Amino acid sequence: SGAAGPAMLPALRRCRPGPVPLPALAAALGPGPFPGLCPGWSPRAVPARGRKTRHDPPAKSKAGRVKLPPPVDPEELLVVLERYRQHRLVLSALRAEFRAEVLQKKREERLAAEVSVEELEEHRRLMAWNDEENARQRARREERLKKEEEEQKRRKSEIAEKQARKMEAFLEEKEKEVLQLQEEAKNFITPENLEARIEECLDNPRNYNFAIDKDGRIVKRTVLS
Amino acid sequence: AFSAGSRLLRGYRGSHVVIRFALGGCTNRPFYRIVAANSKRARDGKYLEQLGCLDPLPNAYGEKVAGLNLERLRYWLGCGAQLSRPAEKLLGLAGFLPLHPMTVTGAERLRRRRQREQQPEAAPADGSAEPGTAP
Repeated sequence: SGAAGPAMLPALRRCRPGPVPLPALAAALGPGPFPGLCPGWSPRAVPARGRKTRHDPPAKSKAGRVKLPPPVDPEELLVVLERYRQHRLVLSALRAEFRAEVLQKKREERLAAEVSVEELEEHRRLMAWNDEENARQRARREERLKKEEEEQKRRKSEIAEKQARKMEAFLEEKEKEVLQLQEEAKNFITPENLEARIEECLDNPRNYNFAIDKDGRIVKRTVLS
Repeated sequence: AFSAGSRLLRGYRGSHVVIRFALGGCTNRPFYRIVAANSKRARDGKYLEQLGCLDPLPNAYGEKVAGLNLERLRYWLGCGAQLSRPAEKLLGLAGFLPLHPMTVTGAERLRRRRQREQQPEAAPADGSAEPGTAP
């Protein structure tokens, strides 16, 4: 019953506007439900065998025969395809229903054969208890997960804050260093100052003839005195 | 699982259960049995179960009579049986399944054809009447 579906798509492809090779045939077809439609005629049709096998040659009277497929109205085709789609949807839903019914009956039969009524009752009671337990555990699990999420968020925000603070401190340090360097730059010796500084050093001789102990203080008294 | 069908299906490859019409009766007197059978079996051969019958010739009151065992139909459909096209159409007309699309399409085409046949009859009738009455 699904064979019409895939066969219809080539039919739709065949519905191309094109010149009618035999106007007599078109006139003979009459103003059917497809007026103004000239399908691209391709000589292909479903073969049917009567007296001859497939190895017998065709008769001479069929030499000029052009076998044409039945003409297809594209609007009707679309409508029919849509109807088929919906029909198949409904059918598959019905099949699923019936399958569920059959399985249910089989299960009941099996249970009724093997198991007595009290065991069924106990089974149902235990299943209900199990469901309750599951629900309780789920509630607890959800609470725990919520708390963990909040914890995670808090930790993340703390880390972010620390990072920001570190960054700020670092930037401050760098700023201070830059300013200090700028301050020291005022005392550097440049090519312009060179002559003046040399004159200055030569004018102010300094005596470095002293000793230093381990703490960096100048020693005023030697051991042997 | 579905023991009757699977035990009989042993021995065939790539086959499935099908609900279709098995032809019986005499010359010029067909009679169909609606039957659940293996798809590879002959049309009138051994079947799994008969699910109904259909008399295609109308009776004295102009009715075509069919009988269906809906309970067992549901069982076989639940077991995964396929339907042949005429079986689907019959069940659609019976109301057990939705109407087959080609039933509706065929009815529309028939209606359109009848309208077209009536219009040429009406038009020549008007055309032949007017020149007679008008001038």
